[in-house]
Amino acid sequence: MRQGRFPTLFGLGLGALLAAPTAWADESGSGQGSDVIAPADQRYAPSDVSEEPDFQRHVVPLMGRLGCNGRACHGSFQGKGGFRLSLFGYDFEADHKALTEEVGDEGSVRVNRETPEESLIIAKPTNEDIHEGGQRYEKGSWEHHLLRRWIESGAEFSKEEITPLERLEITPSEIQFQKAGQTVQLRAVAVWKDGTKEDVTPLCRFQTNNEQTATVTESGLVTAVDPGDTHVVVFYDNGVTPIPVIRPVSNLAGDQYPKVAAPTPVDELVIEKLRKLGVVPSEIAGDAEFLRRVKLDLTGTLPTPAEVQKFLADASPDKRARKIDELLESPAYAAWWTTKLCDFTGNNDNELRNTGPVRGRPSQDWFDWIYARVAENVPYDELMEGIVLGQSRNPGESYREYCETMSDIYRGEGEFADRESMPFYWARNNIRQTEDKAIAFAYSFMGIRIQCAQCHKHPFDQWTKDDFDQFTGFFSRISPSRGPSPESRDEYDDMLKKLGVKGQRGNQLQRALPDLLKKGETVPFPEIYAMAPRRGGNNRRNRNAPADTAKLLGEPEAINLNEHADARKPLMDWLRREDNPFFAKAFVNRVWANYFNVGIVEPPDDLSLANPPSNAALLDHLARGFIESGFDMKWVHREILGSDAYQRSWVANDTNASDVRNFSHAVPRRLPAEAVYDAVVQATASDSVVEQMQTDLEDRAVAMAGAGPRNNNNGANFALSVFGRSIRESNCDCDRSMEPSLLQTVFLQNDRDVLTMIDRRDGWVTQVARESGGRNPAAADERPANYERQVVALERRLRQLKKASNDDAAGRIETRLAQLKRRFGGDRPEKAASNLGSSGFEPKSVVEQAYLRTVSRYPREDELARSTEYLTSYEDPLDGVRGLLWALINTKEFIVNH
Amino acid sequence: MSSFRTCDGVARRDFLKVGFLAGAGLSLSGYLRLAEAGEVRQGAADAGIFINLQGGPSHMDTFDLKPDAPAEYRGTFNPIKTNVPGIEISEHLPKLARCADKYAILRGVTHTLGAHQLGTEYVNTGNRPLPSLEYPGYGAVVTKEKAASVDLPPFVAIPNSNQRGGFLGVQYAPLNTAATPRPGVPFSVRGIALGNGLTVAEVEKRQSLLRDLDTTFAGFENNQLLDGLDRFSQQAYSIITSKRARDAFDISQESPAFAKPFGEDAFGMSCLLAARLVESGVKFVTISLGGWDTHQDNFTRLKTNLLPKLDEGLAALFGGLEQKGLLGKTAVFVTGEFGRTPKINSRSAEGGRDHYPRCMFMLMAGGGVRGGQVLGESDETASAPKNEGYSPDDVAASFYHNLGIDHTMEYHSDTGRPITIVRDGTVIRPLFA
Repeated sequence: MRQGRFPTLFGLGLGALLAAPTAWADESGSGQGSDVIAPADQRYAPSDVSEEPDFQRHVVPLMGRLGCNGRACHGSFQGKGGFRLSLFGYDFEADHKALTEEVGDEGSVRVNRETPEESLIIAKPTNEDIHEGGQRYEKGSWEHHLLRRWIESGAEFSKEEITPLERLEITPSEIQFQKAGQTVQLRAVAVWKDGTKEDVTPLCRFQTNNEQTATVTESGLVTAVDPGDTHVVVFYDNGVTPIPVIRPVSNLAGDQYPKVAAPTPVDELVIEKLRKLGVVPSEIAGDAEFLRRVKLDLTGTLPTPAEVQKFLADASPDKRARKIDELLESPAYAAWWTTKLCDFTGNNDNELRNTGPVRGRPSQDWFDWIYARVAENVPYDELMEGIVLGQSRNPGESYREYCETMSDIYRGEGEFADRESMPFYWARNNIRQTEDKAIAFAYSFMGIRIQCAQCHKHPFDQWTKDDFDQFTGFFSRISPSRGPSPESRDEYDDMLKKLGVKGQRGNQLQRALPDLLKKGETVPFPEIYAMAPRRGGNNRRNRNAPADTAKLLGEPEAINLNEHADARKPLMDWLRREDNPFFAKAFVNRVWANYFNVGIVEPPDDLSLANPPSNAALLDHLARGFIESGFDMKWVHREILGSDAYQRSWVANDTNASDVRNFSHAVPRRLPAEAVYDAVVQATASDSVVEQMQTDLEDRAVAMAGAGPRNNNNGANFALSVFGRSIRESNCDCDRSMEPSLLQTVFLQNDRDVLTMIDRRDGWVTQVARESGGRNPAAADERPANYERQVVALERRLRQLKKASNDDAAGRIETRLAQLKRRFGGDRPEKAASNLGSSGFEPKSVVEQAYLRTVSRYPREDELARSTEYLTSYEDPLDGVRGLLWALINTKEFIVNH
Repeated sequence: MSSFRTCDGVARRDFLKVGFLAGAGLSLSGYLRLAEAGEVRQGAADAGIFINLQGGPSHMDTFDLKPDAPAEYRGTFNPIKTNVPGIEISEHLPKLARCADKYAILRGVTHTLGAHQLGTEYVNTGNRPLPSLEYPGYGAVVTKEKAASVDLPPFVAIPNSNQRGGFLGVQYAPLNTAATPRPGVPFSVRGIALGNGLTVAEVEKRQSLLRDLDTTFAGFENNQLLDGLDRFSQQAYSIITSKRARDAFDISQESPAFAKPFGEDAFGMSCLLAARLVESGVKFVTISLGGWDTHQDNFTRLKTNLLPKLDEGLAALFGGLEQKGLLGKTAVFVTGEFGRTPKINSRSAEGGRDHYPRCMFMLMAGGGVRGGQVLGESDETASAPKNEGYSPDDVAASFYHNLGIDHTMEYHSDTGRPITIVRDGTVIRPLFA
């Protein structure tokens, strides 16, 4: 972004060049100019200073710097000691009032214009008067003089005086340290809209993003600690400026850096950063490792044994690129990325009650609608437009036509995915309030967290409470209704009358509709619609009334919503604008996070000024390329997956072992919940089922619509919740959990679902039994007529024996019961028969197949030997096959993508 | 490392420090912290049992009778004396009357949420429900704060619970038994008991194979994920093969003499299991007894079904805990989501009572609670607290206090907001006096 930097040396001669920290300043930087007003600590040092301080520019920032408006102090919503300031400032009117007027019961006026020195904001923080917060500054200090002068000069402030801050310029703009203990002093210049520039260093707050790498003092002195890279962030007014700080981790930085190939633009940018850090990336991963990684990452699906064998045997140099292309065309790609988009947009059946006559259907429609578009690779902006501008009726469609089409769709005649937009995003019960809609929107489509600004100045971004309030206007005109829109009311009533259910309300009506639908009737559907523009002037006395104007985040001018048929239209236009700072970045960053364990901005849904990207050039490149490609999602996947950066091994070297943010090696990470479930099903399935799973998404966890507990999903729900499928509830990417837990391990080791999968009729163990010449258990063992009675009798006997503490006998009964169940057990698949003919059983090929279907590679020599020894230790080798498959599913290598 | 900042300016690292003493739980970070930090600070009680009387029991027919109120209020039940002079409860709770010295009765507890779901969330978390944030249940907080044994689940719900992990995450959710035990029958729980005919010997053989094969990442255990998976694998193995874990759930191992007072009903059996689990080292157990939504036939349903069950199970639990020497170490909390209308409705021949959050009762026992006392008071018709009354938040704060957990401690939500464990409560000091 910034060009034309020159190194500036601080207080050191050329001889000390190598040992000195290097700092860059912007060439255009005005920091050195003579038109910059000197810092307040100089101007207010003399006690007879005559200058009158400004409330916005000096008083409030100083109180912020002194900590007065922090959450533990007067920024607390209850205030402290009868005095409350707006949290983190920027609510100037409220703060001025709190200082100059009597507020509340116990409040006393904080400034005393008659006797300024007796003002509480002087007496208390200097500890002359009792102050719970202790001494904040000394009598006779510049802080004291500044506050006193403000009071002496009348303690004035008027709303009209608020000036926008143009930018907060920091010198140096980047710091590179060589060794621990080196220091650099930051200097901050505020550039105001009116052209004035002031050195505000003593009025800023400073913060380090990682004190292991660099610390910063209250006055902006940065000190190097351990090697690594981080940012120091400077706050003033609503300005937030991050400064990169780097200390190389090896002596290979810069000119000493070895030659590393950078075949793609992504690699060039990744290596550029690694060069500064002296971090050498890992080798390129082997083919088996690559195949497993890319297929799981891109499609949430394990490679099949045949696929692994074919890929390893393929000698062509472009096989990786071709594999990526092939996977991008698979239905599982569309399913997995639809699942991710459903995460980000919050598709949650629980929150969609009463948005359609049949429970669970809207959530499924939501999934299907996105799926159809991801599968066709519809441009991302178009896809999102269908959600942002979602409404129930297609343009030009009457309410009756809409209900007729929907009734048909519910009866299986037609596809919801063919509808022009997907309105359920706005229909969720958890975002009924306008403010909640704004927060959800910022999260889903911009990857930012503006909720902080709902109540106070955002502590890590430029957003003020006013920015938030003005932004919410766009969302005040979307109306999810459980019935029709006002203009459709007559048609609706007419429909109810014809159906003979007029007068029925609420639940009664909800219960009647599904039956009528089944009978072939057209039933009324709830309608989500955009309210029509309002004629007439501003009238917003009612807080809940739709707003007339709204302001885009970071844009200066308010928009008259009455000039737009749909108030969300200007919002969508802004999102897809080339200079939108969030829309494209949020998506490419989330895609990146899916592939590298962390985003370029991490957490990926927190694009804020104080949380800068670890590689800004890389994020810019991907976002720009995405926009230039016409928001082609597959472009993003190819651009990332085709890079060396993605294809590196997880095995680290001396320089990159502790790198977690600069993408110098692959990071082992647990498979996401859906992929775990599908992987266990696939690893234990017979070859024909494995093949079927590649194209048929029926029963695949990656293709399950919603996260609501109502969707039973064939019993997969338990596993999916244990492994942390996104709950899609709280506008946070962390609704999906990637943490391991004890319950997960217990599930894989001992849950009946997993044990049953290993033994199931269409499972691999059964297949091995059949192919090895053993009897086909599924066909052979007819269940005896008295099976049920036998089981009941044995269970009763077992209880009696256990009660009598006869462990030996109980153990025998238990074994008999288990054998009986294993052989004939009800719906439970059976274990294969035990009289396996030794003729067809080849341990080596069985072990190879077991490895290929679980960890997607051939076994090593030692593994083959140990596994064979295990298999042959059993009288019935099938018992060994079960144990081997169980063990492989429980290896770290299986559950981790690496 | 990423530095994830919160609304109030506390960096994530800082709140990790704040929560550093917190041990246990099932999450990786929790586990690692447990390993490093060991046991946390001691409260009076080391474990908790929460009994949820779902549906909202009538306070006037159980622990807050008003024999002098007009007939349309007082109902058909009479008070009886308890073993504590001056305390009287319903005649249909004779066993609880004989051990009133074991528990404290809170009367005139009051709130305003008259819907089952909202009231239930309130009393299971100690916080009025918010639409934007799900609070963790007591058990989730206890799981997070108290170090548990490696081979036992720390939080068990019999058979399931309204207490969820909330914003703390699913790793703090309870292990649901999904069923209630039956008298004298070994009881097994999903994932804990060996299934599908597996024997301990077979599992050990498989584990040995697993150890030999799971070597791809050998030498890279400094990775948090890989290290965590290893630890969980060992712990899961401990639980699955541990006689202790299986035994903890096996109520058939209790002596008949000990088990007898618990009766044969599912609630009594749940109480027996709870006592056994706590004895084994489980940190928190929830039990459910539903059916209290007596809009009709209030008195018959209470007299013939609900009160005998509650009386038998709860009295046996207090007695059993005491017999095992656990009462002083186990905080017990019994509550429904609200009380019921003092005035009897006319929905059936004998009438019923409707939802009434304005006045209700709760019971506290164990740990540092002084039994044999009544705190708080309702007015002449049990329609409102006589004085200020207690809020569910106060009772929650006291429950945490009893468990040695500071209810003013702060956690951070998913999005980083700082949240006090109990927003508005104050510890009811006389409970512990």
